[in-house]
Amino acid sequence: MTFEIDRRNLLQMLGLAAVGGSVLSQATFAFAADTDNVTIGWPSDVPSWDPNLRFVPDAQPIFKLVFDQPLDQAPDLKLIPNLISKWELKPDGLSMPFEIRSDVKFHNGDPMTMEDFKYTFVERVKSGLKLDIANSWRTLTDIEITSPTSGVMKFSAPTPTAPQWLAFLGSYLVPKKYVESVGPEEFAKKPIGTGPYKLVDYQMNSRIVLERNDDYFGAKPKVKRVTIDIIKDPSARTAAIQSGQVDLTVNIPVREAERLGKTEGLTAEINPFTRLILLQMRNDKGFSDMAVRLAAHHAIDKAALSKAFYGGAAVPLSIPATPGTPGYLPDYKFPYDPELSKKLLKEAGYTADRPATFTLAATNGQFPSDFDIARALVQMWQKVGLKVELQQIEYSKYFELNRGGQLPEATLYSFDNATGDPEIFSGYLMNPKMPFGAWKGQEIGDKILKLFVEPVYEKRIAGYKEVAKEAVETGANIPILQSVQTLVRKKNLNYVKYGNAWVLGSTMSWS
Amino acid sequence: MRMFATIANLLVKRVLTAIPILLVVSALLFCILRILPVDPAAMSLPPNATVQEIEAMRTEMRLDRPLYEQYGIWLNQLLHGDIGRSIHFRQDVTSLIGSTLPATIELAVIAMMVATVFGLAGGLFLFYVRGTRAEAVMDFISILLLSLPEFLWSLFLLLIFGVFFEILPFTGRLSPGFERPVVTGFLLIDSLITGNISTFFNALEHMILPCLALGIALSPSLMRVLRSSLLDAYQDDYIQQARLRGLSEKRILIRHGLKNAILPTLSLMGVQFGFLFGGTLLVEIIYSYPGMGNLMVDAIRNADLPIIQGAGLTYCIAVLVISIVVDSLYLILNPKLRMR
Repeated sequence: MTFEIDRRNLLQMLGLAAVGGSVLSQATFAFAADTDNVTIGWPSDVPSWDPNLRFVPDAQPIFKLVFDQPLDQAPDLKLIPNLISKWELKPDGLSMPFEIRSDVKFHNGDPMTMEDFKYTFVERVKSGLKLDIANSWRTLTDIEITSPTSGVMKFSAPTPTAPQWLAFLGSYLVPKKYVESVGPEEFAKKPIGTGPYKLVDYQMNSRIVLERNDDYFGAKPKVKRVTIDIIKDPSARTAAIQSGQVDLTVNIPVREAERLGKTEGLTAEINPFTRLILLQMRNDKGFSDMAVRLAAHHAIDKAALSKAFYGGAAVPLSIPATPGTPGYLPDYKFPYDPELSKKLLKEAGYTADRPATFTLAATNGQFPSDFDIARALVQMWQKVGLKVELQQIEYSKYFELNRGGQLPEATLYSFDNATGDPEIFSGYLMNPKMPFGAWKGQEIGDKILKLFVEPVYEKRIAGYKEVAKEAVETGANIPILQSVQTLVRKKNLNYVKYGNAWVLGSTMSWS
Repeated sequence: MRMFATIANLLVKRVLTAIPILLVVSALLFCILRILPVDPAAMSLPPNATVQEIEAMRTEMRLDRPLYEQYGIWLNQLLHGDIGRSIHFRQDVTSLIGSTLPATIELAVIAMMVATVFGLAGGLFLFYVRGTRAEAVMDFISILLLSLPEFLWSLFLLLIFGVFFEILPFTGRLSPGFERPVVTGFLLIDSLITGNISTFFNALEHMILPCLALGIALSPSLMRVLRSSLLDAYQDDYIQQARLRGLSEKRILIRHGLKNAILPTLSLMGVQFGFLFGGTLLVEIIYSYPGMGNLMVDAIRNADLPIIQGAGLTYCIAVLVISIVVDSLYLILNPKLRMR
């Protein structure tokens, strides 16, 4: 008897819960259907709302909604005016006169001035605050203000990529008057920028709510309110777009994107962007012999890797640059030729009894299918007679291992460069003074160091093309694939596709 | 009065014992994290930092000093209420933990309530159907529930109620458009304090799936322990004597059997709550729940040692507090212990 009553009560409660749940849920989901709003499922949060503080590539599309950069990039990655309307890097690369717009206002109504530029890029950096932009602007000694709307950036050494850095990581203008009055901690809590949206609500690791800045100097965004749900788990992002809790999401597994693309009301894209998947190479130990390095490269079937792990959308690369960027060589192909691999190994004196051996390090989960690609590489190498041991490493340990000379012969690595400039591809990857590349060969290193101070654009780009080709042909670098971004959205939600995978709420509209 | 005096005595003893425990845990945490092959100095700088800049940062962070000296500095700061500054977020760890801890406590407490309801109800039902076919079925179900970890429950529940039926939200703590009052940081409490009933229910709705996932994963062990404790209790003479006195089975179960059998279950609940508090990481990630587990995952990914140290100490304090609470409950429920 007691059980009957309990069960009845339980059923009544379940019924009430179901009705209540569905009523509440309808209230919840009705919001997402509103065409003045867009909800984006994004895989990571901003590290802080001070945009100069940390370099986090995935946070840039969020920062770009609240703050503005002095220069911007078009969808094809070309530099375009933004807060700065005119600029000209002098032939010696030691100074850059520029002009700013006079019609820009911060979210609190204060007008943007040259003082804000000097404060952001010079005074703030020198104030002792730990800002990542201090590293990208270490050669900037001063901004000389020549008029209320013009100034000159002065550098201690030729800085040929200064314009690119004005549209890259961390280079966002902050309001001098406001930051000085409230302090950096309060600024990070209540950030004010000049961007197309204002921050109205933020809960760390959960949600960012942005409202349109109706006084924005640029093209007015069509969507009034952008909500960014921070959903770190790819399965949860998949579920969120499938259930309609978000209108657009990125970086879900390729197979899930393909499946969701066939779902009614949704469309999916697999977009290649400016991220390389490559092998960082050492020039010693098992890779001291160039023949082994080249044999390893010829043995990699990049098209098969693309097909197996990225639905064929990841472009096989022969050069450490992505298609469409200035340093790319469209006609250059490094062939997949396992027979040539075998021949090279045989000529170098390696046999089945005395095989060439080396270790490959790879992260697991740092970028999509990383460890699976590493396993496939090991199998491809085994087929040509290379004996390879696979070692898993944490991404956070990469720099430490590299600095201590403890990385193995090859490391599977991914490298992001939203600017597309070859200095930030080949230059950073093979500069022996920087912590990215494992290659410490002086010959290529010297050429790279010269290019770092080459102010003439055409000469610089030609130099990088040459050195990148040389690096590949000597086995100093093994580019594998251009990485892809998966994107799933509601069919009637439009957005502008950028070559560097920026997904900007300010470009979205409903049709 | 005697009971309160005994509990107060226990509290004083436990707090005094907690001090050396915390010292040992802090030393262990500090040493283990320093042995790991990660470089906090490099992680605190952008990737384009030079070797010289990293070395300068290492000196500034006093990582070039001997380990015991580094620990001494850290402990001294800790005693002055300064847990350190996050390498990745460049904020005080105290404020980061302070802003995320309430969400995790709220989640853990409600998940424990779910586990308790399911565990006790299931345990009583298992005992009730002992010796019947239903016992075998329930046994099978409890083993099945036990064998699935909470992150699989999370995904399973998310797919069923979030994607298939679309009746429950599964991202964050609140739906967009709802006001988020901040008084204590505990959203349920804050929404009630400010009289924001719609926020309260919306927050509760967001907690259903993560709490169910955590609670369901914990409940089978409670069921099984309660069942076996009841079986043991029913072997004792006082149960037979109660029957001879003509008491009903229901009264025997509630007044005699359950009162004695609940003590081992309570111990297990205490241990489980400790684990639960430190085990919400994956569930928080899956449900985008902005708690300390989510923060911890970021800290581990970025080798943010000050956060890992601070969170580790917080977990340790939480486990000590839970154990004191459970011991106090033990004293309340078991008169024999108060006599000692």
